[in-house]
Amino acid sequence: MNAARAKPVLPDEGARLGFRLTLPAQILVLFIAVFPLLMQLYISLTDWSPLSGLGWWSAWSLWNNFANYTDLAADARFWSALKRTAIVMIVCVPAEFLLGLALATLFADEFPGKRIFYSILLMPMMVVPAVAGYMFFMLFQSGGPVNDILSAASGFPVTIAWLSDPTLALIAVMLADIWQWTPLMFLILLAGLVGVPEDQIKAATLLGANPWQRFVTIVLPKMKTIIIIALAIRVIENFKIFDTLYIMTGGGPGVATETISVYIYKLTTQDLIWGYVAAIALAILIVLSIAAVFAMKRMARAREVRA
Amino acid sequence: MSAIHLQNLVKKFGDFTALKTMDLAIADGEFMALLGPSGCGKSTTMNMIAGMEEPTSGKILFGERDMAGVPMGRRGVGFVFQNYAIFTHMSVRQNLAYGPRMRGAPKAEIDRRVGAIAEMLQLAPLLDRKADRLSVNILQRVAIGRSAIMEPAIFLLDEPLSNVDAAFRAVMRTELKQLQRQFRQTMVYVTHDQLEAMTMADRIAVMDHGVLQQVGTPLEVYNDPANVFVARFIGAPGMNLLKGRPAESDRGLVIDLGPLGVTPPLPAEITAAVRGAQGDVLYGFRPEQATLVEGGRGLSLPVTFIERIGARTIVHLGQGESAVKAVFDNDVGLAIGQTAVVAPAQASVRVFDTATGLAMKAG
Repeated sequence: MNAARAKPVLPDEGARLGFRLTLPAQILVLFIAVFPLLMQLYISLTDWSPLSGLGWWSAWSLWNNFANYTDLAADARFWSALKRTAIVMIVCVPAEFLLGLALATLFADEFPGKRIFYSILLMPMMVVPAVAGYMFFMLFQSGGPVNDILSAASGFPVTIAWLSDPTLALIAVMLADIWQWTPLMFLILLAGLVGVPEDQIKAATLLGANPWQRFVTIVLPKMKTIIIIALAIRVIENFKIFDTLYIMTGGGPGVATETISVYIYKLTTQDLIWGYVAAIALAILIVLSIAAVFAMKRMARAREVRA
Repeated sequence: MSAIHLQNLVKKFGDFTALKTMDLAIADGEFMALLGPSGCGKSTTMNMIAGMEEPTSGKILFGERDMAGVPMGRRGVGFVFQNYAIFTHMSVRQNLAYGPRMRGAPKAEIDRRVGAIAEMLQLAPLLDRKADRLSVNILQRVAIGRSAIMEPAIFLLDEPLSNVDAAFRAVMRTELKQLQRQFRQTMVYVTHDQLEAMTMADRIAVMDHGVLQQVGTPLEVYNDPANVFVARFIGAPGMNLLKGRPAESDRGLVIDLGPLGVTPPLPAEITAAVRGAQGDVLYGFRPEQATLVEGGRGLSLPVTFIERIGARTIVHLGQGESAVKAVFDNDVGLAIGQTAVVAPAQASVRVFDTATGLAMKAG
């Protein structure tokens, strides 16, 4: 099977023709993907900024001996933003996954009103992230609905300043992310769940497996690939968390909810140190690429086992 | 060990009645085939026995035990699915061990049972192969082994050979029958292929449109079909049926087939039943039981088509109401357009009531 895969699909002649035919598209891709990357790499080695009075191509005159990269290693604000991004990811992605999986399991069976609940459930995903951010900003005001509900439930007037407390602000931001992106997880996992062969589940039942055993021994292994895809999508997206969060807290109070994207945004628009921003972005790209390669390798292995 | 009794079993899906009051007793250790065209209710019956579907009314008894409300995992039935439903993400060993493992059997015991079953089904060298790269006959054996390891008293097989090509089917039929002899379980086998039912089953339950038509040994349903449906459905080609009226002659009771003339006298066993008939009857005989007669008495019909099936030759005679098929040896000297005179063997003749479709016989 490996031999079959390694064999070229087209004979040499055909492959050469194919290359020539796709050349224009390849050049286009080169410009879209590779050119900006090289430009970024170039700028990241300099002190260039749009206010430096130089075109970016002459940024070499501001060459700074890798100072951006050495600064980066010593930038505590960068590292804490990175740590915060990781925390958000570690909390949100598993929460979205487990909620999505539970909902998908629920929706795999028929129940009255399923269609309506289904539509309602998908709605958060349709909301523009900026709007969602504003919604949650309002919800978590100290006189807002969240505190009202807590007051009604506890019987005491609750006036928690959600978005002014460093810890609570981070929690609020994570709740917003979970609210908005659980539906996507649910949708992908439901597709995977529906694809599990009914016969095999019945066969397992006839062999005496209880629902939990069926879930663990049949359903989950069959969904493995789709679970990896769903997790990969959310990990990558979550790493870039920005819009909802920025509207809600602007990265504050202080830097309490400042993630990598927010930090980069501030450096770009407020500090205007583009050379440094390019260095950060490049470092992140490298880290994410390495993670992606690992994930792809695992996925390829999983597929090989299945195929 | 377990006999199966179906009592007044009814299954409705909304307005559609899939099964109308089915009564069937399957003896302990019997190989019963449920045979019928698609949509006849045979799979529904099987699914109810397995517990995958609840009967609308009626009872299913295993031995003396009423199965109502017993979930499918607790019925002690082995089920082989049409597509085998092998767990493709597991190895053959894991497939075989699945049942005992889910029931928490100790590891040593699982290993022993898997070893024994693999030995019996000649799967031992394949135990560590992935189940998704196996050929169909091995998949089938894994499917059987996976159920058999639970030592079910009842084995249900849902058209297990329908995905297999014809040459292989013959091999598998033999294999399955031998397996049943080994396991000695009660087996219910759903199929639309009469050859499978005929070759393997102890008894066949012929079904159509949710109604049980006849239950009997393969030879009983072949020789003495209870009604017109069974007569036409069993046999390849099915029984010839010609419309006619009973008439007395000096040689005994005959059937007047109108333009085709009168038949030879009916066999003595059915004469009494046919004599009392009102109106039209259907005169039936097996294509295999027809002989070519030179200048003698018989049905004189033009040859319309000659179908060579290898071992024998099917000759199509006449058209429309008077179409008859006859199976002859390959050296039969007939050509299309020629007129042939065929006579059914007297003992094989059956007569059916046109109105009810039932076979007419004494008692």
